[in-house]
Amino acid sequence: MPKSGTIKASRRNVLKGAGMVAVSAASLTPTSMALAQGAPAAKGPKLLEMEGKAKLIVLGDKPLNAETPAEMTDDDVTPIDKFFIRNNGLVPDAPADAKAWKIKVDGEVDKPMEITLGDLMSRFPNVSYKMMLECGGNGRSFFSPEARGNQWTNGGAGCAEWTGVRLADVLKAAGVKPSAVYTGQYGADPHLSGDTTKPSISRGVPIAKAMEPHTLIVFKMNGKDLPLIHGGPVRLIVPGWAGSTSTKWLTRIWVRDKEHDGPGMGGFSYRLAKTPIVPGSKGDEKDTVILEAMPVRAVISFPADGARLASKKLDLRGHAWAGENEVKTVDVSTDYGVTWKPAKVDAPPNKYAWQRFTASVDLPSAGYYEVWAKATDSKGVTQPFVAGNWNPQGYGGNPINRIRVLVAS
Amino acid sequence: MTQLNITHVVVISLTAVFLLVALDRAGELRGPQPTYTPPAAPAAPVAQIDPDKGKPPPHNDTVADLPEGKGREVTFYTCTACHGVALIKAQGLTRDLWDSTFDLMLERHRMVPVKPEERAEILDYLAEQFPPRRRGRNADNPFLK
Repeated sequence: MPKSGTIKASRRNVLKGAGMVAVSAASLTPTSMALAQGAPAAKGPKLLEMEGKAKLIVLGDKPLNAETPAEMTDDDVTPIDKFFIRNNGLVPDAPADAKAWKIKVDGEVDKPMEITLGDLMSRFPNVSYKMMLECGGNGRSFFSPEARGNQWTNGGAGCAEWTGVRLADVLKAAGVKPSAVYTGQYGADPHLSGDTTKPSISRGVPIAKAMEPHTLIVFKMNGKDLPLIHGGPVRLIVPGWAGSTSTKWLTRIWVRDKEHDGPGMGGFSYRLAKTPIVPGSKGDEKDTVILEAMPVRAVISFPADGARLASKKLDLRGHAWAGENEVKTVDVSTDYGVTWKPAKVDAPPNKYAWQRFTASVDLPSAGYYEVWAKATDSKGVTQPFVAGNWNPQGYGGNPINRIRVLVAS
Repeated sequence: MTQLNITHVVVISLTAVFLLVALDRAGELRGPQPTYTPPAAPAAPVAQIDPDKGKPPPHNDTVADLPEGKGREVTFYTCTACHGVALIKAQGLTRDLWDSTFDLMLERHRMVPVKPEERAEILDYLAEQFPPRRRGRNADNPFLK
């Protein structure tokens, strides 16, 4: 919890400069973008008003996409109300009987099956893990010039406790053929146009990732029935990878004998440029690689960007995560990267969970400071100073995290 | 002594009657009565599931949510057949990238195609209204607001 004794969050700043507060390290906030645009007087970002959800930052109403401001990510396990929302289509109707929800497994399997959620829950071992779910476009707003899509800062990520059955157990029961290469996953979310013949999105993963023991068919989030807005009654969680592979409202797993080609698998969707391209250019859709694991990232959850500090001594904290890898170190700097100080990094409770970091820094004087945090993973890969490898849809934006503070004189 | 006349008798009698009726109604003049037990209610109907429960509130934009300019109407009606204007307004793209965005909408998102002249008008509008505009990383310093 914030230590109110040392930190005096400015209410005026929090309210009036809400755009800034929400955007822990963005070079340009939605507010100032709107101003630059000449849109009606900006009042800060639009905040979510929805039963059961906190006041997240609304990036778009249709489809509904909302991110968690950095200062709302301080919990070890992200509560449901604070968890970000990402949709590609419309939200389907809530089922009258969740346990009767059907999931089909077909394609390159010996015994194609259709199983109800109720049967799935009782037939296979139930497991729980605390795991990251992160939008593939998390960090997109850090690209310059702008990349296409929802302008996520770092708030398209959360770590919940997911309960479900292993996708591997289900696939083994169906008997995966040697010809299996990839999954093709479908959900019940209708296309935004309302045209029921069009899937809104259909992504997949290589069989090896589908068989990884943390890849789950999930029906509980933080011990509660999975809420509709988060893909309930049943969804996939493919931890550490672009969130779009964690299909919501799961209805079908089509085991393919080639890389899946559903909507969201081609062009520059969830793809990076193979040969680096000029920022702001169109690029070549034939020269791309699929975004799989998400990049290493540290986010300071306390204090908030824009905090006014009453003391020069600052105890900061946050979380760091690294896709398929573990975070080994987090370093903090208060002098624009001239010197770095290691933070204390906790071990994750299980693979794919984010890790708590804490650090205590002594700011030399009153005045304006930036506090930077960067994580380095078990492979020695760290975060860049700016979002690099520009690509038209803005994936992989993970520059060093930055908050701005003002120490009272 | 005041003499009792017929009016007094009537008033006193009526008052007594009202008092007795009131006491009777209040149960003061009767012993415990058997309490009324309503017949068992019919079995509750199967709970009606609201299919919209848990969904986000409905959202509707209007043309006025986009900045004025030539091509605003055709842009609005073409784009909002699927998504909200907030997504458009969050973008800052060159005409070239707006052009490839149009292809993305057609191919990836299966948008209903429009006439070439409409596409050109929409692209002109988008490129004019929503060009790249991200400035330096200190353009939004919180302490200058």
